[in-house]
Amino acid sequence: MRRRLGWGFWLALGWIALVLAGAAAADLLPLPRYDETLAGPPQSGPGPDHPFGTDGLGRDVLSRVVYGARVSLGVGVGAVVLGLLIGAPLGVLAGYRRRATDAVIMGFNDVALAFPALVFALAVVAFAGASLVNVLIVLGVLGVPAWVRLVRGATMVFSEREFVAAARVLGARDRTVLWREIVPNVSLPVASYAFIGMAVAIVAEGSLAFLGLSVQAPTPTWGGLINEGRPLMENAPHVVLVPSVVMFLTVLAFNLLGDRLRALTDVRQSGLEPVRRRRADRLPAQPHHVEEGVLLQVADLRTHFTTVRGTVRAVDGVSFTLERGRTLAIVGESGSGKSMLIRSILGLAPDAGTLRGGSVYLDGQDLTELDGEQLRRILGTRLAAVFQDPMTALNPVRTIGAQVMEPLTVHLGMKRGAARARAAELLASVGIPEPARALRRYPHQLSGGMRQRVTIAMALSCGPDVLFADEPTTALDVTVQDQVLRLIRRQREERHMAVVLVSHDLSVVAEWADEVIVMYAGKVVERGPAATLFERTRMPYTEALLRAVPKLTDPAHHPLRLLPGRPPDLAAPPSGCAFHPRCPYARERCTQEEPPLFQAEVPDHLYACWYPVGTGAGVVETSGISGTAEALKAAETTGADETTDAIEGADSRGR
Amino acid sequence: MAGSGNAHLRPSGEVVLRVEDLVVEFPAGGGRSVHAVSGVSFDVARGETLGIVGESGCGKSTTARALMQLPPPLGGSVRLDGVELTTLRGEALRRTRRRLQMVFQDPISSLNPRRRVRDIVAEGPRVWGAGADRVDEMLTAVGLDPATAATRRPHEFSGGQCQRVSIARALVLEPEVVICDEPVSALDVSVQAQILALLEELKERYRLTLVFIAHDLAVVKNVSDRILVMYLGKVCELAPGDALVERPAHPYTRALLASIPRGGLGLPPADRLISGEPPSPVTPPSGCRFRTRCPAATPLCAAEEPVMRPIGADHWVACHHPHGGEGNGAGGLDGAAG
Repeated sequence: MRRRLGWGFWLALGWIALVLAGAAAADLLPLPRYDETLAGPPQSGPGPDHPFGTDGLGRDVLSRVVYGARVSLGVGVGAVVLGLLIGAPLGVLAGYRRRATDAVIMGFNDVALAFPALVFALAVVAFAGASLVNVLIVLGVLGVPAWVRLVRGATMVFSEREFVAAARVLGARDRTVLWREIVPNVSLPVASYAFIGMAVAIVAEGSLAFLGLSVQAPTPTWGGLINEGRPLMENAPHVVLVPSVVMFLTVLAFNLLGDRLRALTDVRQSGLEPVRRRRADRLPAQPHHVEEGVLLQVADLRTHFTTVRGTVRAVDGVSFTLERGRTLAIVGESGSGKSMLIRSILGLAPDAGTLRGGSVYLDGQDLTELDGEQLRRILGTRLAAVFQDPMTALNPVRTIGAQVMEPLTVHLGMKRGAARARAAELLASVGIPEPARALRRYPHQLSGGMRQRVTIAMALSCGPDVLFADEPTTALDVTVQDQVLRLIRRQREERHMAVVLVSHDLSVVAEWADEVIVMYAGKVVERGPAATLFERTRMPYTEALLRAVPKLTDPAHHPLRLLPGRPPDLAAPPSGCAFHPRCPYARERCTQEEPPLFQAEVPDHLYACWYPVGTGAGVVETSGISGTAEALKAAETTGADETTDAIEGADSRGR
Repeated sequence: MAGSGNAHLRPSGEVVLRVEDLVVEFPAGGGRSVHAVSGVSFDVARGETLGIVGESGCGKSTTARALMQLPPPLGGSVRLDGVELTTLRGEALRRTRRRLQMVFQDPISSLNPRRRVRDIVAEGPRVWGAGADRVDEMLTAVGLDPATAATRRPHEFSGGQCQRVSIARALVLEPEVVICDEPVSALDVSVQAQILALLEELKERYRLTLVFIAHDLAVVKNVSDRILVMYLGKVCELAPGDALVERPAHPYTRALLASIPRGGLGLPPADRLISGEPPSPVTPPSGCRFRTRCPAATPLCAAEEPVMRPIGADHWVACHHPHGGEGNGAGGLDGAAG
């Protein structure tokens, strides 16, 4: 989609276009010549004949600024173009070839960088004279080392990308790889820096002119005009002010253009970013019953974002309760809202453009009513969290010890010595060998599995009641995953706490959770005890997910049951049941009415489906729908109850 | 694990890709080196899918790059239809490229963001001066609409669709062997199933030979005829998928299976089959590289590196003390002749 450039960009572009046009068409404009003395009374202020007044010799200031733009812009643009012409090929070569080529080019480059720029400028001007061309060459050549570095860096980034490897695998020659794969990618960031470089060159030319080292009088340049106006500052300040302001605006405009272009290359916006808006608003509350004696109750929790493309219902009316000693798993594909649900419970969802609703009760206390300070006291002590990537959760420049001790000293008020001893105990309890030594190490010195153990130790440090683990093993190897999940379960039992485990992996959930919530498009679509949910699945989405996962017990080349399509666009979810476009059992009603959560025959097993699988309701009149042909064939040839068994049998065999 | 040895290689007439004693090392600073791949051998018969499975650091992706000669390996041999690739350089190497193609892990990073999807797929034929007539056919074959692909850039597609583009790009040159390096690891389960099914379908239709690399054993088993298990730059076990899952012989294979949730199949808990942390590939253990974490390790394992030997029909293991081997009844050497 098209990205907004903002009015500042267009204003800046307009100004530069105006100055460029003025400089190019200066001879055609109805202006006095820049060197025509006594075109008006000397040192007169702005007036109808001379909009920007006249200087000490009675020359028209507007005319001198417009003609001065020729030198200033010419040098600004020319120096950058010259610098890039020399620097870019060298940078691309150094960044792509690496090794010896890189070493030689960068060696020369570093020497060139060390050369004093002003001395070089003085020398050239002294020997060759201060003509426009010479100044342009001086500034252009001085810029080369910076361009080499910039282009080399960008080239190196892109030449490590897999699409470059892919092009070489296709048999493309280096020349082709450079032209088609690397240069187009490097050119946009370089173009953005080129604008900033032009601003720098204009300022540099101004400084040289101010020192009298640029193009000599009577040819006007902006720096020269400022210099000439300096003695008149008290009587005729406009002589200095006008070129100063014009130069300031031009430099600002170039910087703004460069900045905006660079932002374009940095971010790939999807249109789903929350709009910049006041703080979070509350959605109207739904009446709900507060359960007695329950550790954690989430009631009708909603988190909506206002975005450019509309309201995104990331979490939309989620309710559940959780007791001590239990593990609740939240499972779903990317974009199902499972991670945002955790963040919403913990009060960590972003503020800007957010609409919130519902309540989170911890031992009957509503956390959504608390202010920031009160909530902070609960986070880390009673509620703790472990996230997917342990490397981003740990500060790379602080030791493990400092980080594990921090919650102990901050929340529990321990003295340093006691905190250190406790930290070592904690590390030992999560299975880190030689804990005293580990305390002195930095995160990068540990393996991924060990880092995740450290974040778990930190989360456990204040004895939380609920541990939230958001994809805690997704970044880890399967043998390490087993160790980490085993550790979390052991800690849950020892500390008698509850665990909320977020995962995309159904087999992890089936193995490690007591209760399961399946999310789709921000909503709970099925919920129940793990064994029941996987063996007596009711929601077609859960069924489809289970069947899409290859199983170890299936023979090789066993055809997978496909779940067509992909998760819905949350800014424009389908009408009715959000799953209906992908559902093999969907009928008219599913496209119009959103199903509520129905109670299945097993207590606490809920599902949101008009025609649930395994009950007979979903398998009538569905012949001819592809995707679940096997089950449907079974449904046609047998009674509905046997179908249930057939489907479930297939699944439990599958696991 | 270990091991080395070439006993498991088949006569060269049957195989299209034959890799012997592959060695890849990277400089690690201070004159030391990372032993990423140390003497790996395997072969792939025409029309077969070889799965390579292992955890991070086992060298499976490095092996893929070495097969592609990106860069050429430090040692060993890679033969494609009998042609040695490791000694080819420059133009001669480039000419063999189209016969060996690759699908990468990251569907986003493996497509040039500034090019249109159709141009990305058409790049291969363009490089080789062939017409673009196969491009639309390939796009359709991977389930994309050529008209949409002609105007859109990769970021307008989902991860699964980008992976379809990658597959089309690899197949458009009609390669003999396609190496898939973790092609579904970055995808949601529903999309993963779609891509796996697509690979199976295309393999059938274009009679492809595949090397399928992944860390997920269930995924590898679903698409592979034979599976090679790797650990720390060495091969552990090679067997057809069913045999590997039902009768894992190498202690590491057993630990890997037991670690998979719901994958244990009667194995003891994983924490009794594997202990500790993977050793550094800069200073790998002597002998069998798995011995430092293996419950069955003996002094022999430190002294002598095990080599691949038969333990069942087309079932090979590099271990001094394989499970079910030597008098334990199961397997045995009888079936090994075939």
